[in-house]
Amino acid sequence: MPQVKIIAKNFMDMVASLPAMKLDQLYENAFICEAILRSLPPLAKKFVLQMLYIDGPVSAKSMEEWVLPDGVSKYKVAVDRLIQLRVFIETADRKRETTYRLNPTFQANLQKLLIHGEVLAREPMPSNITVRLPSLEDLEAYALDQWECFLLQLINSGQAEKPSNISSSVMKVFQKGLLSQRDKEAPRLTESGFQFLLMETNAQLWYIIREYISNAEERGVDPADLISFLLELSFHVTGEAYDIDTLSDEQRYAIKDLADLGLVKLQQGRKESWFIPTKLATNLSMSLADSSSRKLGFVVVETNFRMYAYSTSKLHCEILRLFSRIEYQLPNLIVGAITKESLYNAFKNGITAEQIVTFLQQNAHPRVAERIPSVPENVTDQIRLWESDLNRVDITPAHFYDEFPSREVFEAACDYAREWNGLLWEDSKNLRLVVKADIHTHMREHLRRQK
Amino acid sequence: MASAPSKLYADDVSLLVVLLDTNPFFWSTSALPFSKFLSHVLAFLNSILVLNQLNEVVVIGTGYASCKYLYNSSSYSNHGLEDGRMPALCTRLLKNLEEFVIGDEQSIKEDPKGGTMSSLLSGSLSMALCYIQKVFRSGSLHPQPRILCLQGSPDGPEQYVAIMNAIFSAQRSMVPIDSCYIGSHNSAFLQQASYITGGVYLKPQQMDGLFQYLSTVFGTDLHSRTFLQLPKSVGVDFRASCFCHKKTIDMGYVCSVCLSIFCKHHKKCSTCGSVFGETPVELDSVSKLKRKTPE
Repeated sequence: MPQVKIIAKNFMDMVASLPAMKLDQLYENAFICEAILRSLPPLAKKFVLQMLYIDGPVSAKSMEEWVLPDGVSKYKVAVDRLIQLRVFIETADRKRETTYRLNPTFQANLQKLLIHGEVLAREPMPSNITVRLPSLEDLEAYALDQWECFLLQLINSGQAEKPSNISSSVMKVFQKGLLSQRDKEAPRLTESGFQFLLMETNAQLWYIIREYISNAEERGVDPADLISFLLELSFHVTGEAYDIDTLSDEQRYAIKDLADLGLVKLQQGRKESWFIPTKLATNLSMSLADSSSRKLGFVVVETNFRMYAYSTSKLHCEILRLFSRIEYQLPNLIVGAITKESLYNAFKNGITAEQIVTFLQQNAHPRVAERIPSVPENVTDQIRLWESDLNRVDITPAHFYDEFPSREVFEAACDYAREWNGLLWEDSKNLRLVVKADIHTHMREHLRRQK
Repeated sequence: MASAPSKLYADDVSLLVVLLDTNPFFWSTSALPFSKFLSHVLAFLNSILVLNQLNEVVVIGTGYASCKYLYNSSSYSNHGLEDGRMPALCTRLLKNLEEFVIGDEQSIKEDPKGGTMSSLLSGSLSMALCYIQKVFRSGSLHPQPRILCLQGSPDGPEQYVAIMNAIFSAQRSMVPIDSCYIGSHNSAFLQQASYITGGVYLKPQQMDGLFQYLSTVFGTDLHSRTFLQLPKSVGVDFRASCFCHKKTIDMGYVCSVCLSIFCKHHKKCSTCGSVFGETPVELDSVSKLKRKTPE
């Protein structure tokens, strides 16, 4: 069975995969330059800063001299990344030496940024028009609510309390790969769907956004435009209101979808309407590996395999149900138990023990998060043991041979199978052997020749 | 109090505390005008803020007779990610700087220190360390701190004890002190500070390219430093100052109880009060050679 792995890295991988011309075009936008710079590995950032005011090309050799012997591998990664993103342009000079120089557009934009400083992507609206702006806490709650609602709708179209206006075709795109639908059956989560649910919010968001972007062309939107708009959005100030009339038509269309995902909140005044970016939007350009976006956990696991989840969220309950037996639910507390049966169920759905353990660790309640380990060792060990229990039996298609005419023929057949690395079992007393199915034809040939 | 590694952000998030020398006695004689110096520094601070949205910059002014927090990128961050924007950085910093310099001038007039022209480095170092301690103790996650001294004025031997104490406390809390010395002679204090705390000491040769020096050497976050060639210290001046006359000395007397250093023989230690014995016949035979070796 092919293992479907959800690649949830970050925005920049997607940007890097754009064609060169599109990339150069993107760098015209100062925000994208800044977002790209921030996404680079530390060493690469360093090189960009160092080369910022060097106009000519720098030879690869002299660059390598900046690095200590220990750091050569890091240096290679950094330079590869820079070339991939076309921040560095590789050229060969007369003496056939590789030289690098900064992408001129990128360079000019960054220089400007350093001297004149960051400008706002868009002027926020004056506060006399936008009365009653939500507080940052309200906004964050709104964003998470919206996101959860979306997720619930994603996994179970019927369960969502308030249907969002994401068109069903777009929703289908999101569901592709996460849900499988057989005829006349309710859609079921696929293996990657389960994995998706256990991911961090940021990683989930990124997955959805990636799907959204790659689907853009079908909707008649240029993916590069969409990327640049999303990156620009991430430089807006959380909690400030921005006039929706400053957006182009395509952007206005996109922002409605983003509102459904919880990236922005739309509000309407008497005449004007405006959008307020939430934390989800401003985190978009951040590298997802950053633990800074870590939110407070809610799960306490005890050594007796009982699990207390302080959460009111229906989604959390659904997620926990994936691998545990929910015993009872109080208004703010979900109590469950991790049992062998519940875990076998999870493994059957393609969730791995490692994913469950990481989920429990990442979402550990602050009271236990400070402890090391945050999830009791006996529980994590047992989860892993139960998983390896399932993997005890390995099924290999095979063929069974017996009734060999003589011991010589049997020995020769064994040796032959060994040569092909296909011998699984031999019983020299009764002249029987088992070989892998894929060498069966060779084996038959061999035996025929022996006759 | 060393910080637990789990409390740090990933990789390269840094808190840079810059100690800005504003000593009027130095700048009036310097070849590099203060305004030019400032424009290099502002661009540098901005580049630090651009590199990572979680980076923080704190600027402390080191005056002749006083020190003051001039700018803190996190305190103007009522806008979440938009903190430390250049316009804010420029205007806030320049406004505070002006106020500070005027106030400093006032205190010079009120309380002239006499001969020395050094600035109050010990004060600003202590302020920087206090700020870093505050960061260590607050919140769950904090950036990796480091201190950068942009110093031009000569060392003030009378601050020897205070500066050394600050250096050792920085060493204890694993905060490197980088120093960029723009004066004419090398600064023994800063050389020692960087050497002991594992920072970088650099005396730029070309003042026009100050930004390049700053970004190349001092812009490096602590994580990347393990992979990069950075200027190494050659010949650190380890000489100590005596406690009695605050003079830098090669040889002197050391109290065997509290390790205070004196240039002349005393009957009693001025620090801990121990009574010393006989007056030595000859300096060379009896006095201990004072050589402070790095730990």
